[in-house]
Amino acid sequence: MRKLDRLSIGGLACLLVLVLFALGSPAGAGGDPDAIVGPRLQPPGPGWWLGTDNLGRSVLPRVMEGVGTTLLLSSVAVLVTAVLSAAFGILAGYRGGYLNELVMRLVEVLYSFPAIVLAILVAAVLGPGQTAALASIVLVTIPLMTRLVRAAAVAVAQRDYVTSAVISGAGLPRVLVRHVLPNVAGTIAVQGTYALSVGIAVEGGLSFLGFGVQPPQASLGVLIQQGGTYMIAAPWLILGPGVVLVAAILAINVVGDGLRDRLEPRETRSLT
Amino acid sequence: MRPLRLACGVAAALLASACAATGPITTPTDAAQESAAPGYLAVADQALAPGGTLNVQVHIDSGAATGYDPQLADVATTWQLLSLSYETLVTVGPDFAIQPLLAEKWDTPDDRTYVFHLREGVTFSNGRKLTADDVVGSLKRLLASKSVWVGQLGPVDEIAKDGDGKVKVTLKEPYTPFLAALANVPAAILPMKEIDDKSVDPATTLLGTGPYVVEDHRQDVSWTFRRNDAYWNQGKPAADVLNITIAPEEAARIAALQNGGAALATLGNVDSESMLAGAADVKVVTQATTDFYYLMLNSLKPGSKLADPKVRQAINIALDTKQIAEVALGGKGEPTAVTPAGLPGSCDPAALPSAAKGPDEAKRLLAEAGAENLSFTLTIFNTEPAPAVAQVIQQNLQQAGITVKIEQMDEASWSGKVYGKAPAEFDAALSWFAGYADPGMVTKWWNPETAGFNAGFMRPDPALSAAIDAAGKEPAGAARDRALAEVCAQADADAQMIPLVTRPATVAFRTDALSPSLYATEGYGNVLRLVADARVKKSR
Repeated sequence: MRKLDRLSIGGLACLLVLVLFALGSPAGAGGDPDAIVGPRLQPPGPGWWLGTDNLGRSVLPRVMEGVGTTLLLSSVAVLVTAVLSAAFGILAGYRGGYLNELVMRLVEVLYSFPAIVLAILVAAVLGPGQTAALASIVLVTIPLMTRLVRAAAVAVAQRDYVTSAVISGAGLPRVLVRHVLPNVAGTIAVQGTYALSVGIAVEGGLSFLGFGVQPPQASLGVLIQQGGTYMIAAPWLILGPGVVLVAAILAINVVGDGLRDRLEPRETRSLT
Repeated sequence: MRPLRLACGVAAALLASACAATGPITTPTDAAQESAAPGYLAVADQALAPGGTLNVQVHIDSGAATGYDPQLADVATTWQLLSLSYETLVTVGPDFAIQPLLAEKWDTPDDRTYVFHLREGVTFSNGRKLTADDVVGSLKRLLASKSVWVGQLGPVDEIAKDGDGKVKVTLKEPYTPFLAALANVPAAILPMKEIDDKSVDPATTLLGTGPYVVEDHRQDVSWTFRRNDAYWNQGKPAADVLNITIAPEEAARIAALQNGGAALATLGNVDSESMLAGAADVKVVTQATTDFYYLMLNSLKPGSKLADPKVRQAINIALDTKQIAEVALGGKGEPTAVTPAGLPGSCDPAALPSAAKGPDEAKRLLAEAGAENLSFTLTIFNTEPAPAVAQVIQQNLQQAGITVKIEQMDEASWSGKVYGKAPAEFDAALSWFAGYADPGMVTKWWNPETAGFNAGFMRPDPALSAAIDAAGKEPAGAARDRALAEVCAQADADAQMIPLVTRPATVAFRTDALSPSLYATEGYGNVLRLVADARVKKSR
């Protein structure tokens, strides 16, 4: 095992700052994100450090709320993805046969849709809102993670310690939970970080298109959508959420790379 | 580390540029709008040669639900499209004056009788001459229909031919808004001979006396109109072809204006004027309208606190219409009572009983009604600036301790939720009415037995209905103003539909491609009212 490199630690620090930034919103730092505090479309200045939007609301607390909404939504969705992918991937990889075929074909069907099209489809069925955004992120991220977990499980299932456990009479749940799951956990963790960045991008895209988080609640996608309308006349509206979105995705990817190097050293990485 | 440094550098540069950006956005004042003539925002340059193709973009293709029968059309966006092919006996000019159209003049021998003299040489687009029978048949068909507009026509007693080329309408009692009611598309004159012999179905075919005929229509995509060569008004329409593209996204309409894909577009964002200020050859104008936003409170939903007049009154008091106008509409709208602000004889919204009270009174009323922690969902459509209006309402009501959850949907879904069932299932909803050209007309929608469309969420208020009827009978003047003031006060107290702010219409056009005519004011939500005058400078 290797230590996290400096870049990964930097990414982790950036994520930590973003989380603290987001936690400031419910704590009241920056003010009420929905309150009308000043004139419309004011550039950054005292009283509204990131300017005001088209309703005279301070952009700073809205960006804080937006980061929180996006991170929470994406994290919950990725957690759901991780649980489902671990269950289906391990079962499919370990048992093989018809179960493997069924899971893999379902995954391939989901994989055949472009991410944003799949997300829009889900939003059209469920109606715009957080539920649609959450379901969309899960459906967009689940195919890749399931495939990778299944591949890892196939490799682990052939290891001697698994065979020994089976010979010694361990039941299926025990084999999967005690012997397979711990050995694919690294893959889940690494893929989870990538899924998180995909989730943030999907949430942003859905909200940008009006299918995700609904106003007045702020999310990075909602803020970028609103800021995009005023990009020339009031660039400060898109600058804050845009920079934060880029920083969040960059940081998560850097941390993901670090985790991969730590948990799946290049020499032990499987190409299956 | 290089990518990270680069990203930080770019972010810092962007931040610096934002901080150094221009000062606060200023909204051009009305005075800054070039006024071509009194009552007009623009007048088409008649020196330009007629012909060419005029490309227009609008946000919605409504009408599919009710069909294209003008008498059954019930929303302003449909009236706008149908007005290209259909005409009425009278129309409105600048400053809401009633003007001749298919009737070249009219007599009023007494306050209950109108004799319309039909214009000579008018034909339908199939070439058949317009007759008095078409007029009589159209108005009788309208009165016998389930059209929402029947309530606007007032107490019509008899419609009959009065010799060749004349039609006499007799009312049971005086009704001041009668001519203004005749000026809207549902009162259009239809080809009754063809409708009666069933060779034309007005629900699917547009056959009128208007300047354009439909050449092609793809629902929610586009309309193509070509000029009616038999049009009675010499020299009109100026453009040979009128393409109307349906572009729901505001950004798409703005892009089409900028790249020349559209010569004229309707815009919803109240900041469009500022946002397009630097765009070459694009001019944005704001038409003052009598249309206004209003808040519907469903008093018929079982178990709803909104059935309690005190709760509705508290909401009415807590609303800050001045802030809604300033913030959500960027100062382009103004507070209004049930009689539209801007029309002669309308009430002063600042003089309404609810305007003199504040959030404390609202809290007291809520406490009396046992609704201290009132919470409800406000259902809105996602067309700008409705979401902005809803968010300011949410902030206003929060001051009185009322929690509002905003539910946003597309216009079709919104319409289904608000009007689809009786009793309706929504708590509160936001919409807008065209304010028309007479201050008494829109007040008729405050009587659900007349309006019909709101019977699923609104309980009739006998006192308010009586006041509305009384105002309709009064001739224009001080007595009518007093009667309308009584209507405003009654509607303010009833608060099942709360008038908020006027709704400006923003129109943008390319100065290098088009010389349009546009009234400074509009009462029927019809931005394309003078499109037959528009001169195309070049076809793209």
